[in-house]
Amino acid sequence: MTNTLKVERAILDLTQDDLAKKIGVSRQTINSIEKNRYVPSTVLALKLSELFNKPVNDFFKLTEED
Amino acid sequence: MSIKKIIACERKSLGKVSKFQLPHHFKKVGWVLFIVSFISLFASSIITTDESLKSTIVIIVKYTMLIGLLMVSLAKEPIEDEFIKSMRMKSYMIAFILGVIQTLNMPFITLGVETIVDGGSTLKPVNDFFVLWVLLFCQILVFHVFKSTAND
Repeated sequence: MTNTLKVERAILDLTQDDLAKKIGVSRQTINSIEKNRYVPSTVLALKLSELFNKPVNDFFKLTEED
Repeated sequence: MSIKKIIACERKSLGKVSKFQLPHHFKKVGWVLFIVSFISLFASSIITTDESLKSTIVIIVKYTMLIGLLMVSLAKEPIEDEFIKSMRMKSYMIAFILGVIQTLNMPFITLGVETIVDGGSTLKPVNDFFVLWVLLFCQILVFHVFKSTAND
């Protein structure tokens, strides 16, 4: 799984800390998702989708490994 | 009570147990209890010369050390989100595997060391304090490593 969370965050001019506070997680969680070290749950993905006002598929993409 | 109801009840209570955690401040309480107990373990030989009293103190101190580590292990992080929970679960899994491997190997390691030092010994079982100590210490250490590397 790959993602463009960093880009979406930059569009909204948010720091990792700001984004973490908005969706109620720690900064490490955002950092780990951005670096593709952690795949978030559906709940967290939907929270991000609501914040970015975009479908989940727009910023989370399946790779061939998946 | 039907079997389905019993299974549902069991599942509910297991769910509650698996979610059980202590508030974050218990981490400090746990470390203080552990350090005080650790110091008391060595201080017991200075405080008293009575062997039975000393062994009683050592048993109590070992228990309080384990309780302290358990508090640290169960204490929540300031932000206990799903990522932290997944790291916590991984750390329990790794600690369990390492604990079992260590427990299986320890009698042979002890035997080997004692054979080299004393020139002969017998296989001795691992004591419960050692097993619990390894499990808790590994979990705390692995969880700390996971948290530290998450910042990179």
